[in-house]
Amino acid sequence: MPTTDRRTFLKHATRALGTLALVPDLSLAAPRFARGAKLDVALIGAGRQGRAILGELAKLEPASIVAVSDIVESRLSSGLRRVQGAEGFADYREMLERKKPAAVFVATPSHLHVEPCLAALAAGAHVYCEGPLATTVADCQAIAQAARTAGRKFQTGMQGRSNPIYQLARGFLRSGAIRDVVSLRAQFHKKTSWRMTASDPADEAALNWRLDPAVSTGLLGEQGTHQFDVVHWFLDAYPTSVRGAASIQLHADGRTLADTVACELLFPGERRLRYEATLANSFDGTYELFHGTMGAIKLAWTAGWLFKEADAPTQGWEVYANRQQFANEQGITLIADATQLAAQGRLKEGVGLPEPPLYYAIADFLAAVLEDRPVPCPAEEGKRAAVVGILAEQAVRTGETIPLDPALFLANE
Amino acid sequence: MILRQATFAMGTRFELVLAGEDGVRLRAAGEAALEEIEEQDRLLSLFHRSSLLARINRTAHATPVRLDADTFELFATALAVERDAGGAFDVTVAWRMRKEGFHPGSQLGPPPRAGAPRGRIALDPAARTVSFTTPGVAVDLGGIAKGHALDLAARALRAAGIRTALLHGGTSAAVAIGAPPGAPGWRVALPGRGAPVVVLRDAALSVSAARGRTRSDGAGHVLDPRTGGFAPTDLTTAVHAPSARLADAWSTALLAGARPATLDPAATAALGRAGAWTVAGASPVAFVLPPPREPALAISISCPPPTAGPS
Repeated sequence: MPTTDRRTFLKHATRALGTLALVPDLSLAAPRFARGAKLDVALIGAGRQGRAILGELAKLEPASIVAVSDIVESRLSSGLRRVQGAEGFADYREMLERKKPAAVFVATPSHLHVEPCLAALAAGAHVYCEGPLATTVADCQAIAQAARTAGRKFQTGMQGRSNPIYQLARGFLRSGAIRDVVSLRAQFHKKTSWRMTASDPADEAALNWRLDPAVSTGLLGEQGTHQFDVVHWFLDAYPTSVRGAASIQLHADGRTLADTVACELLFPGERRLRYEATLANSFDGTYELFHGTMGAIKLAWTAGWLFKEADAPTQGWEVYANRQQFANEQGITLIADATQLAAQGRLKEGVGLPEPPLYYAIADFLAAVLEDRPVPCPAEEGKRAAVVGILAEQAVRTGETIPLDPALFLANE
Repeated sequence: MILRQATFAMGTRFELVLAGEDGVRLRAAGEAALEEIEEQDRLLSLFHRSSLLARINRTAHATPVRLDADTFELFATALAVERDAGGAFDVTVAWRMRKEGFHPGSQLGPPPRAGAPRGRIALDPAARTVSFTTPGVAVDLGGIAKGHALDLAARALRAAGIRTALLHGGTSAAVAIGAPPGAPGWRVALPGRGAPVVVLRDAALSVSAARGRTRSDGAGHVLDPRTGGFAPTDLTTAVHAPSARLADAWSTALLAGARPATLDPAATAALGRAGAWTVAGASPVAFVLPPPREPALAISISCPPPTAGPS
């Protein structure tokens, strides 16, 4: 288990709190970007996630969305409804050539990330690529290699790393708030078929790539990857093996890809992450839960809580705490700007995020490009999360325990 | 076959009734429509801190907020109904409602300054932005957002090739696509004894009443923006319109006391009794219903009985 000097982490946590206190409500007084900063950006892939990116980009003053591309006309026109003044392209290569965007957002189906990423980097653009980075180890390595040599910013869309609540929680965890992590649990529950439909059924095969076992890494690749990355980041560690099982519980509609999976990832120090995902039930949604010897931290993307053991020491900041009851457990709400809000007597207004998690990931990317800062999740880190998702999916499909060679997590040479 | 699907959003339950042959495709189409409704909840909620509306309320007095085409159209429709209803519909009553004790915890942004002139919403179609003329303006889309979500959900269903469907939000607003096989339209019964049954086909219907949520002193939750008074709690209004957005906004406006100049005077006089008239503009048809014997608000929707088939 990686150990860290408590003083170092307290220092980091304090710094994180100081930064976080500037995030909400002060955006008018203290903009994150220099006045007049501008960046021409373009989107490749205007499906649901691509359109969500456009929605968040519209909130960020420096972003000037100059072009959107998608090979499907209906998706392209939906994307263009989100932005004013952008030009539409069916062919992203033509878009890169003609518009020469400074930064490109890649939100194509996961198995089709590699080509636009490489093309955008080759065209000299900075790249934000949605997660998972890719669906094969070879594609992940190709993207990471290209990102390393291109001399441009490359961010993988792992939103947890930019989420102020997650940053706060990581500071707490790593400064010893729950002491030693002993086990972990995470889930993705959503009742949906994951199937897409179109007015022309002939278009549906391509739309339903997530259900095609030849190209999709299923629930573990598409959803698990994002949550595995949170665990990697919090523990600063990667799993050493994975095993699990998969089944179709609800959607027996001709698919072969599981709608329900469960797996166990073994981390150094004999700590186990039990992960389950299903499309058959929505209870309790999506969360990650860290159990420690002095408490637990539960994170649910737009909210987070700290649950303390009875013998855990009381800390000074708890006087500000807002608490929520969950059956027999009392959770201290993790509020990103608690100190500032408490000073204003508005602590309860701080529950939840002032923006969706995607906003913070995109804002971080723009800041990285405009102000030459590091990205929160570089291609190498995106590769590690994607590889874990790929091999976890392989484990549940085969029923075998798959060892994860540490060499998989080394940086590309 | 008939497939029913539902989701919780905007503080109520939205339901879809879809008719078609292929259950797998029906389910997928319905899910796309439900996702659209959930997306509108995330964007337009007055209670989610991360909603676009909360952001607008926080920041639009200082800098224009860029909008997508659909949200811009929603704001434009709200302002058009405000104009046509003579001010009886106004989405900027949020702070007044808060002061009256409604919507605690809503995300309203900076409060109005004492004595400051009333601020307004300003839309810029060229830049597609919304802004507020002064601090202290806060928007509450509760009188129109449900209809907007239903319109977008219906659009998603049509794009997926669905030709026969009925959608409703909390049984107070409904949109019909096509008609059930062999029927002229979807039959929707308005609440109250003797109230009409509306046959809906490629159109929308909304009902409003102030008695659903009341303050401890009995005041209803619909404010007449012109007078600051509350709508009577024994009235129910219903509007049949080409879009759910319009139906939703107009049913609220009529409840608050809108009397569009273009109304037939006899129809205006009928307020408080059963009556129907046509409102100018997008030609909605409105009903003011007699006080109900039972405190029911919900419309009741009849749909064809389920037929055997794979689900």
